[in-house]
Amino acid sequence: MKILVGVKRVVDYAVKVRVGANGVDLKNVKMSLNPFCEIAVEEAVKLKEHKKSNVSEVVALSIGPKQCQETLRTALAMGCDRGIHIMTDKRGDYMELQSDAVAKLFQKIVEEKENDVDLVLVGKQAIDSDCGQVGPMLAGYMGWPQATFAANVELDGDGLLVERETDQGTETIKIPKLPAVVSCDLRLNTPRYATLPNIMKAKKKKVDTYKAEELGVDLEPKNKVLEVFEPPPRKEGIMVDDVNSLLDKLKNEAGLIQ
Amino acid sequence: MHPLVRDLYKRAIMVGRDYPHPRGIEFVRDAWKKALRDAQNYHPQAYSADPRGAEKELRKAVGRGRYAIREMIGVIQLKKYRTMRRRYGAGQLDVDGESKRILDACRDLIHEGN
Repeated sequence: MKILVGVKRVVDYAVKVRVGANGVDLKNVKMSLNPFCEIAVEEAVKLKEHKKSNVSEVVALSIGPKQCQETLRTALAMGCDRGIHIMTDKRGDYMELQSDAVAKLFQKIVEEKENDVDLVLVGKQAIDSDCGQVGPMLAGYMGWPQATFAANVELDGDGLLVERETDQGTETIKIPKLPAVVSCDLRLNTPRYATLPNIMKAKKKKVDTYKAEELGVDLEPKNKVLEVFEPPPRKEGIMVDDVNSLLDKLKNEAGLIQ
Repeated sequence: MHPLVRDLYKRAIMVGRDYPHPRGIEFVRDAWKKALRDAQNYHPQAYSADPRGAEKELRKAVGRGRYAIREMIGVIQLKKYRTMRRRYGAGQLDVDGESKRILDACRDLIHEGN
């Protein structure tokens, strides 16, 4: 069984972003692996390490500029066997490269470059674009079954047993037969930290590079970004003396109660 | 410098880049340099009489250092999980119990008033 994992190079989760003239200012900003993608990589590696699984290879796929090689090295250090880097200078945070193009690039890799991929694992969403669309779109394009927001994944014969985390609670669905697409939620696992010895070992692993423009996929954004602005700063809170003045404020000033 | 100590420092700096502290890597670098120089942690002079014992004590100290690095990794993972859960999970989209109770109480009071 072969697993393909999508990893995205995004602005680090702890960075306070600034909005510049052309969207979010990415100059000299710390970039790292998307946390949900880390969870997907961890799940792929766990499936490979499981005694009863027959996972032969875990391949990590990343789309972006040449610095994506570092992101791929982190994924390889966590336990992936090979990396695929699709080179493009387009911004991946929804400004230039959008979910539709990414899903089509994934489809190209699965259909033409990597035969017999049985499972595609992606993160639930990227913390820069927050779309959460690549997983479902890819499943649609490939005609594969999908399980999104997975909080638990088990191999079950020829298929998978996936627990999904929704607002109403948890539901368990069965995918009778692979191949399939699964997108990973926060509760799925705790990603391992890539330590120095593993990073050294990862330098020897193979990374294939393709150019996004040469893959014959339409990369044009389907949605146009009209404006990017910071949210308005939070207003100060006020202390009230009793319940009646609270009700009064809610009714008259906030207009929340008729 | 002993190669094990050099390797320990390199590991600490690699992990320190993600350490959640306002001063970031500077804090990690200062704290680790101070700790590595601290005679309380290991001082070769204490074992000058017994070179094999000195090597053994050094390795023990490096082991304690590696434990400290594992603790740093724990802090990094916890901070990341908690931030992600606050931002994206933890039943954000429905009204939590406390707020629901306040809103229900307000609704009852208004109906009573009418």
